[in-house]
Amino acid sequence: MIFIYLLSGLYMGWSLGANTTGNVFGAAVETRMLKFKNAALIASIFITLGALLEGSGPTQTLGKLGSVDAIGGAFTVALAAALTITLIVRLGIPISTSQTIVGAIVGWNFFSGRLTDFRSLITIASSWVIAFVVSAAISALLFFMVKPWNNRSKRHLLEQDLMIRYGMVLAGAFGAYSLGANNIATVVGVFVPVSPFKDIAVGNLFRITGIQQLYLVGALSIVVGIYTYSHKVMRTVGKDIFQLSPLTALVALLAQAIVLFLFASKSLYNLLLKFHLPTIPLVPVSATQIIVGAVVGIGLATGGKNLRYNILAKISLAWILAPVLAFLLSYVALFITQNVFELQVQKETSYIFDQRTISKIQEEGYDIDALSTVNGRSFKTEDAVYQELIDQEKLSKEEILAIIALTEVHKMKVDVAKLKASNMHRAFSKKELAILKDFDGKEYRHKWQLREALSVYPEYALFPNVIKEIDKNHNRIVEDKLQILYRNFRIE
Amino acid sequence: MALLLKTTRFIEAQIDTFLDVVSDSATAFQLAIQDYLAGRMQQFEERLAAIREYEHRADDLRVSIERFLYERTLIPENRGDVLALLENTDDVIDNIKDSLLQFSIETPQIPAELHDLWLQTTQASVAAVEQLVFAVRSFFRDLSAVNNYIHKVYFFEREADLMGEKLRRQIFALDIDLAMKSQLRYFAIHIEKISDAAQDTCDRLAIFTIKRQL
Repeated sequence: MIFIYLLSGLYMGWSLGANTTGNVFGAAVETRMLKFKNAALIASIFITLGALLEGSGPTQTLGKLGSVDAIGGAFTVALAAALTITLIVRLGIPISTSQTIVGAIVGWNFFSGRLTDFRSLITIASSWVIAFVVSAAISALLFFMVKPWNNRSKRHLLEQDLMIRYGMVLAGAFGAYSLGANNIATVVGVFVPVSPFKDIAVGNLFRITGIQQLYLVGALSIVVGIYTYSHKVMRTVGKDIFQLSPLTALVALLAQAIVLFLFASKSLYNLLLKFHLPTIPLVPVSATQIIVGAVVGIGLATGGKNLRYNILAKISLAWILAPVLAFLLSYVALFITQNVFELQVQKETSYIFDQRTISKIQEEGYDIDALSTVNGRSFKTEDAVYQELIDQEKLSKEEILAIIALTEVHKMKVDVAKLKASNMHRAFSKKELAILKDFDGKEYRHKWQLREALSVYPEYALFPNVIKEIDKNHNRIVEDKLQILYRNFRIE
Repeated sequence: MALLLKTTRFIEAQIDTFLDVVSDSATAFQLAIQDYLAGRMQQFEERLAAIREYEHRADDLRVSIERFLYERTLIPENRGDVLALLENTDDVIDNIKDSLLQFSIETPQIPAELHDLWLQTTQASVAAVEQLVFAVRSFFRDLSAVNNYIHKVYFFEREADLMGEKLRRQIFALDIDLAMKSQLRYFAIHIEKISDAAQDTCDRLAIFTIKRQL
């Protein structure tokens, strides 16, 4: 059954290959500096490598889809996102894969009565705009840097051409690698906890874990997407928006690789933290918006006369259309999956206001007088709790969200073996795993109970009232780890 | 990629050889005219034979460069321009050869009082071609220098026109047969045409240079 569910993930992979790879190599292929078959080969190799070697960053990317808690729901959400991408790619317009997924997940939230955290939605959405602007600025800057190199170069035209080709291969490979690392989790990430693949040992040489096999299958679906459909999107990026020359195409590619690196590199983030420098937020950015931003940056740097604004308008429209369409498709598809195919698209959750949760709420400093109407009651959805409490106008929206999180019933049993079986133990240090071992077999009803139990250890303790970026980062890392534990230790 | 580097170096060498051939043809043309005016006909014929050889060589090189650029999809953005440039430069050699060939066929009698102007016109035309070779070389290796050489080509082309006009005036001022005057005028124009061809190539080169600049 899992293999059938996996199909929607593979479809998503195919869409990603068709769409996003077109963005990475579009400029290089359309300026005829790289042949399509060579670009496709480089993209295939490096996306697969990125997926296998660095795609296991479950703490980051999985969290994005982690809120979809039933496999039927994950299948439908991925299907809706992939369908949206296919529809828009058919028009030859590059769109953002992350946008469609966000749209589809919000659709799931609405369908299952979960509250959408609009603040983080706005953060993600603003990162799309910021990445676009930063990319345009970097490409314009790079353009002004390569301009004298081109105009005053004493290198032979043919050698210059060769250097640009080498540069394109390197920047493209780097871009493809980071794409694979960042996006494989959006393709098959939701299937990680239920991976049907068993570890394979090749003699004593090396082991291929089940998760790596899953990523490999996902990467192969991306490769199929590259070979079958990406050519069309390449044209839009390389030719339609602005006629790029080989050198400007390289500038666009380089700007894309740099921006992807800036927004995705954890090591850079940690390095900046170490030297007390302002950090760049680690947010999932869209490769599509970045490359279009880079092309626009070059267009503006050359005076902006030859930019085709009508094509740009079409792309911008797709950026708004994509999440909306994915949202609607996701909502309708979830309805059909649940009611026609009778598949579970969400886990049954309840929100209980019993003595234990009420006293916890009080302990956290919230006004429990406002809870008189809900005291002793149990609710099926977040939305129901929210509607009940918001009507009383005694609690702010943020307070209600915090109370909902405290009342959520999420039964868990600590089981380190289970964590290892799903390969998630790699996100934890030896010491952290040893701490968990002490808790093996213990059961908890609420997430905060597990959090509290673990918080006596500095490895799992959250800093209160954080202001400094370095403390915020610590809390983020701990919270990511706790999320993995919540998901993996869950019992019915 | 190693193969690509080898091909690149090979084509670079071919382009350089092509331009060397153009430059040699221009120098040989000037020497041939000097020989003709001095009455060294055998040496003149040898120079003509050498220029014919240069012309064949330039054609072969041009075709070979064309083939490589298209087969290996090198400089996709500029190859059309490069080929047009090489074809136009090749036309200059054709002009040089045609001019000398006419001398060999018609063997016009050039009065001694015309020799000095005749040589000056030839020198100006040859200088235009030599500056053109520098300009084309710079297009490949040093874009910022192209305009200086283009400027020189225009200068020598104007100089050749000026000398040519003087020469023609002097031809028609001489007390010789009208048929001979007409024949000499035709040869004088032929020499001017060489610098005109260099100028035409430069006109295109100027545009190709703008296209290459960011």
